Amino acid sequence: MAEQNSVPSDLYKHVYSFLLENKFTKAAQQFIKQAKVPPQNEKQDAGLLDIFNFWVKSPEAKKRKALPNGPGTSDRPSAKKAKTAESSSEESSSDEEEAAAPAKATPTAKAAESSSSDDSSDEEAAAKKPAAAKAPVKSPVVAAAKAPVKSPVVAAARKKDSSSSSESSEDEAPAKAPVTKGKAAVATPKAGTTTKAAAAQKKAESSSSEDSSSEDETPTKTPPAKTPGPVKTPGPAKTPPAKTVESSSDDSSSDEEETPPSKKAKTGTYSAVPPPGAAVKKALVPTVASKAKKDRSSDSREEEKVSAVPVKSTPAKTVTPKPAAAAKKAESSSESSDSSSEDEDEAKKAAAAPAKAAPAKAAPAKAAPAKAAPAKAAPAKAAPAKATPAEDSSSDSSSEDEKEAKKPVAKATPAKATPAKTAPAKKADSSSSDSDSSSEDEAPPKPAAATKKPAAAPKVPAAAPKAPPKAAAATKKPATAPKSPAKAAAESSSDSDSSSEDEAPAKKANAAPVTKPATPASKPATQVVKPAAAESSSDSDSSSEDEAPAKKASLAPVTKPASKPATPVVNKLAPTKAVAESSSDSDSSDSEDEVAAAKKITKPTAAAKTPASAKTPASAKTPASAKTPASAKTPASAKTPASAKTPASAKAAESSSSDDSSSDEEEAATPASTKKAATPASTKKAATPASTKKAATPASTKKAAESSSDSSDSSDSDTETKTTPALTNGKPATPKASTPAAKATTPAKAAQSSSSQDSSSEEESGKAPAAVTTPNTNGTVNDKRKRAGEDSSSESEEEEEVTTPKNKKVVAAPQTFPKVSKKINVPFRRIVEEEIEVDNRLADNSFDAKRGANGDWGQRANDVLRFTKGKSFRHEKTKKKRGSYRGGAISQSVNSIRFDSD
Amino acid sequence: MTPGFSPRGGDRGGRGGFRGRGSFGDRGGGRGGFGDRGGRGGFRGRGGGGGFRSPSGEGGFRGRGGGRGTPRGRGGRGGFGAGRKVTVEPHRHEGVFICRGKEDALVTKNMVIGESVYGEKRMNVEEGETKIEYRAWNPFRSKLAAAILGGVDQIHIKPGSKVMYLGAASGTTVSHVSDIVGPEGLVYAVEFSHRSGRDLLNVAKKRTNIIPIIEDARHPHKYRMLVGMVDVIFADVAQPDQTRIVALNAHNFLKNGGHFVISIKANCIDSTAAPEAVFAAEVKKMGSENMKPQEQLTLEPYERDHAIVVGIYRPAPKNKK
Repeated sequence: MAEQNSVPSDLYKHVYSFLLENKFTKAAQQFIKQAKVPPQNEKQDAGLLDIFNFWVKSPEAKKRKALPNGPGTSDRPSAKKAKTAESSSEESSSDEEEAAAPAKATPTAKAAESSSSDDSSDEEAAAKKPAAAKAPVKSPVVAAAKAPVKSPVVAAARKKDSSSSSESSEDEAPAKAPVTKGKAAVATPKAGTTTKAAAAQKKAESSSSEDSSSEDETPTKTPPAKTPGPVKTPGPAKTPPAKTVESSSDDSSSDEEETPPSKKAKTGTYSAVPPPGAAVKKALVPTVASKAKKDRSSDSREEEKVSAVPVKSTPAKTVTPKPAAAAKKAESSSESSDSSSEDEDEAKKAAAAPAKAAPAKAAPAKAAPAKAAPAKAAPAKAAPAKATPAEDSSSDSSSEDEKEAKKPVAKATPAKATPAKTAPAKKADSSSSDSDSSSEDEAPPKPAAATKKPAAAPKVPAAAPKAPPKAAAATKKPATAPKSPAKAAAESSSDSDSSSEDEAPAKKANAAPVTKPATPASKPATQVVKPAAAESSSDSDSSSEDEAPAKKASLAPVTKPASKPATPVVNKLAPTKAVAESSSDSDSSDSEDEVAAAKKITKPTAAAKTPASAKTPASAKTPASAKTPASAKTPASAKTPASAKTPASAKAAESSSSDDSSSDEEEAATPASTKKAATPASTKKAATPASTKKAATPASTKKAAESSSDSSDSSDSDTETKTTPALTNGKPATPKASTPAAKATTPAKAAQSSSSQDSSSEEESGKAPAAVTTPNTNGTVNDKRKRAGEDSSSESEEEEEVTTPKNKKVVAAPQTFPKVSKKINVPFRRIVEEEIEVDNRLADNSFDAKRGANGDWGQRANDVLRFTKGKSFRHEKTKKKRGSYRGGAISQSVNSIRFDSD
Repeated sequence: MTPGFSPRGGDRGGRGGFRGRGSFGDRGGGRGGFGDRGGRGGFRGRGGGGGFRSPSGEGGFRGRGGGRGTPRGRGGRGGFGAGRKVTVEPHRHEGVFICRGKEDALVTKNMVIGESVYGEKRMNVEEGETKIEYRAWNPFRSKLAAAILGGVDQIHIKPGSKVMYLGAASGTTVSHVSDIVGPEGLVYAVEFSHRSGRDLLNVAKKRTNIIPIIEDARHPHKYRMLVGMVDVIFADVAQPDQTRIVALNAHNFLKNGGHFVISIKANCIDSTAAPEAVFAAEVKKMGSENMKPQEQLTLEPYERDHAIVVGIYRPAPKNKK
């Protein structure tokens, strides 16, 4: 909530107005709710558009544009479509993703990724991408890779689907596209832009933002969700891009960047990345209206689902959740586990297949398409996040997760997309290993979770340490990636655990997907419930959305709710969410559970209370999966609530334990992100959306905070910041993010805010350092960015906490719209003096410095020529050439300088 | 050389007038009576011999000749050399001599008696029955001379060596290298400019140990049929990629353990960077081309922002240690 205030402030109104203008009443309403920001009608689209235009025109925009364009352009339209599709698809929470996927072919890709992850996997998948979901678990990187890939694919899909996948897809798509293209920076930027745009739109949708995020995710996921197979395919496709992206690692960053762009996109993105932006916008619009709800719901659902899935998975693994998860897992959990494993795989390998498998599984498991979708979305995000984390390496992964989460959050919907991207990025970055590592890192915290996860997702465990966390989270999501695991864990924890409930909200989507039935209802149950309600139809969304909205967009609410369920969690979550939001998304989702738990755990951990604990484990896992978790969370958060909460809590926790939180966030985020991831982003976005920028920002901020808190955060933040910038831009929001966080947990806000900021920062910087965990959490966006930035990856997690502060700061900076990457024209220099070491003996080429100069035959000439220059020199020298020169005695001494070798 | 070259070319062609004016004036003043005296006698004599150079040649000549009272081959006859006592002693670089007198001068033993290549002074020394003619080698005109005067440790050019000279320009320095290596040695003079190449060809006409090659040194395969393995590569190409150019030729024609002497003009490589940095960068490049730099020396004050680097190519294991 607070977040909303902070974040939404600027853009929300615009978004809101924009939504209204576009007749997305529902979306607008939800947006408002979530955003809490007083949506004033006042500003019209013009405002939004103007901003966008302004942004686009800005130098930064250009940069961003480059990448974004491809994706972006397509995105918008596609986004809308996607949205529509999603909206329709939304029905089933998983469906959302899947639906999105179906709706959008492209989305499918994303969906595939995301969808693949579908349920829990979805989350992961979504977060990470389908592939991620599957692979993710095993190899976060893969997931990331996938995610990235996905994102591209998704992006493409989204673009195409865009309409269908709507924004999220679009966002993601853009993000992905960017990623793929520029991968890191460029891609990211685009992604960022897109995401941002998405976010912006989302924000506009703000409430819808979540949707958007979800949408984004959904779209991406959707495809997967719809057709697991497709998903998978998409996953692979995605993965490749992701990988590429990852390779650059920047992806995440790029994602983040993209995200930012996306945010910016609002204004600039479009132009730059018309598709993304458009998609986003469209997405937003559509999303906003129907999407807003749907998206949100879907997002939330997705997220929830994702988160739920993750959660479930996690839970299953970890705690009860696991069982539940198991049940869920059956589909989702199994999926999740699969996904987790997959996630890891993906993450690591980016193996599209795994991801797909996971998604598929997830989806199937989830049965609920909606869930799957959400899950996917979330997963996708998560996955991305994870991937990112993975990329980042452990920290990264977390950060990535966070980033993703953040991104997602930040962007909310966009965020998701972003997250996805991020994930890819992460994947790219961390490559699988990172994610794993990250996941692993996270894992530690998660270990417990992991354990659970392991249980939950045998695969996951198997997958790796990461897996464990992820596994847990991942199990489903984990599969997606570290994040997913994390998510899974987070989610699982959250979901499965009470936290799961917490997550539920966030996760609801997930949960919903999973248990859709309950889910919606409960965020608590959320997971399960969510599945049904939330996810399926927008229920989850609603729930998630609700939450999200509540929180900021949905996230905050969700998160909180989720977290709250856990109570502590809630609190935490709230904070987290608030903060997290972006990251929070994931966080929120996770956060909710994990986040809260995780964060709480980490920080509060305990706080998370059961959930927390459960979550905590999850979170722990998350941490491990850190990103994953985050992503998981994210997913949850994705749902918004989770993220929102998560962030908040995460933040809070994070702030305190920022790291944890971050990790949590990541997880949470992840989950959330999954949902949020996308969601997170979305969440954030949602929240952010409110303040589009803010959301992102917050996320970023949070991330940053987290990141800072995370250790990496700072780095992440940096990266993020950079990347974030985009985010930031989007984020301007960052603040918002924080705001959201703040909102989420107002109390938390402070801390969280910081934490949130962290997350945001993480997101921003996040990508960079913190990125790992927190970042992830924070925002998918961040994640993305982080990913990009992340590379620093490792840093992210560790840094998370540390970073957190930074993140915040960073975030702040990022917040500014135009981030600019300023390229300075460097004149060609054949010899770069700075790079040349000159021997002391050779440092002076003058005659006087030479041995035997005094009394030398040339001394007289030197006395004359030394002071001459130009024409006079030539004249004097000509005289010497004539032979009139007299130098006295010639010595035969050796005056040369011999090189040592001799 | 290169830079100096065109001027030289100009000098040559225009020299007559050119120097005539300048030299005369300057020298006259500077050398005072001496120049006058010698000038007249030796002058014309030489002038006759030297042809175009006469004007300038004389001037320059006189200056020195007069100053030293060096006996020149020809000039020697008259009051020219008569007056001055000049002793020529070998430089530590084989084939290079120092003319000691009132003013010292770097000289090489003229391979073509009675001919000045670019209007340089000649000094004849009679030892017993044999007359030996030396040509003054102006360090302001030749970077190799500048390096020798500056105190380079090794030039690796000695009687009997096979030398590849990249950037031969009009052949002023090439003529001195030709003097150093003597009849037993060979000088492959590569010059890409047709204008200066024309002068180079004229120099080569009278010096059988010079093989002029008017080709781009960047494409050693174009003249691979003309060139055998060489002992030393001297490069004064003043090109940004001169190290690469030298490396290309070294790979084609320089024997293992052979040496290279590269004159580096910093402004031709990067006029914005500090000369020292440019030299360091070039030295570093050489390392990657199997060219091991051994010593470096500034060419101040004879040339501005120049340095000469001497090294070994693919040193034998023993050499390396």
